[in-house]
Amino acid sequence: MQLTYLEAIRQGIWEEMDRDPSVFCLGEDIGIYGGAFKVTDGFIDRFGPERVIDTPIAESAIVGAAFGASLTGMRPVAEFQFMDFIGCAFNQISNMVAKTHYLWGAPAPLVLRGPSGGYVHGGPFHSQNPEMWFVHNPGLKVICPATPYDAKGLIKAAIRDNNPCIFFEHKYLYRRIKGEVPAEDYVVPIGKANIVREGRDLSIITYAAMVHTALEAAGILKNDGIDIEILDLRTVSPLDREAIAQTVKKTNKVIILHEHSRTGGLAGEIAAIINEEAFDDLDGAIVRIAGLDSAIPFSPPQEEHYLPKVEDVVREARRLKAY
Amino acid sequence: MAIKKKNFRNGTKGNRRRNGASQSTRATTGVRAYSIPDMRLEHPDLSVRQAIEKDKDGAEHVRYEVTGNLNAPVPPIRDSKYLDKKECIEIYRYMLLNRRMEVALENLYKQGKVVGGVYFGLGQEACSCASAYALDKDDWFAPMIRNQGSLLVRGFRASDTMMQYMAKADSPTHGRDGTSHFGDIEKRNMVSPISMLGDLIPVLSGVALGARLQGRNIAVMTYIGDGGQSTGVTYEGINFAAVQNLGLALVVESNEWAYSTPSEMQYRCKDLAERAIGYGIPGVIVDGTDACQVYDAARDAVERAHRGEGPTLIEAKMMRMKGHAIHDAAAYVPKPMFDFWKKRDPIARFENYLVKEKKWLTAKENAELISELERVIEAEREIAVNSPMPTPESAEGGVFCEDGCHEIKPKYGMPKVKKGTAGYKQTEAAGHLK
Repeated sequence: MQLTYLEAIRQGIWEEMDRDPSVFCLGEDIGIYGGAFKVTDGFIDRFGPERVIDTPIAESAIVGAAFGASLTGMRPVAEFQFMDFIGCAFNQISNMVAKTHYLWGAPAPLVLRGPSGGYVHGGPFHSQNPEMWFVHNPGLKVICPATPYDAKGLIKAAIRDNNPCIFFEHKYLYRRIKGEVPAEDYVVPIGKANIVREGRDLSIITYAAMVHTALEAAGILKNDGIDIEILDLRTVSPLDREAIAQTVKKTNKVIILHEHSRTGGLAGEIAAIINEEAFDDLDGAIVRIAGLDSAIPFSPPQEEHYLPKVEDVVREARRLKAY
Repeated sequence: MAIKKKNFRNGTKGNRRRNGASQSTRATTGVRAYSIPDMRLEHPDLSVRQAIEKDKDGAEHVRYEVTGNLNAPVPPIRDSKYLDKKECIEIYRYMLLNRRMEVALENLYKQGKVVGGVYFGLGQEACSCASAYALDKDDWFAPMIRNQGSLLVRGFRASDTMMQYMAKADSPTHGRDGTSHFGDIEKRNMVSPISMLGDLIPVLSGVALGARLQGRNIAVMTYIGDGGQSTGVTYEGINFAAVQNLGLALVVESNEWAYSTPSEMQYRCKDLAERAIGYGIPGVIVDGTDACQVYDAARDAVERAHRGEGPTLIEAKMMRMKGHAIHDAAAYVPKPMFDFWKKRDPIARFENYLVKEKKWLTAKENAELISELERVIEAEREIAVNSPMPTPESAEGGVFCEDGCHEIKPKYGMPKVKKGTAGYKQTEAAGHLK
């Protein structure tokens, strides 16, 4: 069936709650209101206020409580109203949750999820992509799906995983894209990238909303005779090193595209992986396309300038192809 | 012990809530009838402030000075409402073990066998041991750095803590962390602390939430200092437990000093137990150097938790009798303050109570108990010293729970859930931002 990205996530969590009594949700305004973006709309009627818990506005308490419940063998799914607010719970995530299995051997099967990303004029505190804060935290799995199919398969995989997973839902995609989602139960494995478009000339390594930007650019570049391959990482931690190396070995030229700020961004890490795994296969310098090194501004012309655009990808791809 | 599941009623309408959860109800009466029971038999009036002092050369220095009645007589131990002779002696034994273990740790440090520093709970043994003693087997707890006695009560060995300090391969974290930073979610129901203060409070509340979803009202105990309670997460955690009516037994250890900062510079209210009023939960003050008072308040909190009546804040007043850690001579503490609290040593007072007042222990039995514990500590020390250091390679692995590493299942049984009649349908509601 055709589902929006939002509905796919919603259905994934619903099915997991239906299937497994140890799954429960907590977060701000997720109960009767159904969440700021309506991901848990109707959940409280089905699963009850005990399993769909409206919390105080207290992100450290939300993460702490989810972690504590996970220690008793529950599988909590905690919502952040916007992923920008995950910073309020940073200590709980970084020092408590992420380190627990390594330090004292306790598994923490919890999911922290919520909307991230720009292109919706949300301003500096409702548009961020804070995934890199957690990529640099060993012990966390960081998931950023781009399609309804992957979003549903990955949220189910995250809920079933025995480790803390942070699930970034791109709010620009929530209701803008639809895709085919099978009726039967399935999961998408965490840590596996996916070639969403095969090509010969140049690889774009990206994820989340930027996959769609890359696809649009690839359509334009096709008219120039440039055949683009697009690798959707799907999970940004752990990274699929093998898939990254493979696409570079195939096309020999690579653009890394992400929405968050350039400095200290994921592109730097991927470039280092390419150096380690496929340096001899490169026929050109690795190109980064990323957000500016500033906060995300509010006003639409400024936000547009800050964020990567289709024309940026087209321009850089032409330049790299010609190199 | 099995706890009978109750059917909780929700507010005024009397609708039964599914899955065993209870909801807190806000007080709606017009009269503010709050009070903070104070179980203490004395109310020390000491206060600390910064003052300028001149040295012999006339140079000015800012120092702390203490005022108040420093010669007040030492109060008696308050008879426990609950503890019998055997239980009192058992708590006394843990307190002695706690102190002897810390003396052994100090010696290990001086012998160069400890990696890093050592933290002490000197003067706080009654608080650590009697509070943890009030928990039932299925309850959970998480210590802070000075609650090494609580670990002994919950069945960890002195050698566990010693090996943690010595970063040994056989330590509970196999060298990966030190001090009381370890846990056990299977047998002893202990959550490992982290160094950041207050974060355990929402975590323990979450443990109680998890258990309640599985049909059990358990008590979850953790500690926070007069310094640590200044953190925002402390507020978030207590408030979460309060609104969710979770069985948190929070022991606020008011021990006068947060590293080098006196409690006067941490908070302005008279007693930290007053904060309970703001959370809408019961608060109580006890003398943290009186094991019987600590136990009684902790047991009341634990029983409230078991009855599903929500959190309790216990403020235990005492004094940290050493520096923050072994490197810190605590020269900033006015000496008369140490002298005042030294007379209120929890072990000396409890010994006097058991041997002289109650005559539950003869002097001979007491001496035998002390020499037995010395032998125990020596044997534990041997175990710790003889454990090897971990291999360098053991730094690797274990970041994630891999397939087959742990089987995850609800500890108290799979939640028995009832589902509503509303089926799945796609949402058509408007969301925040387009």
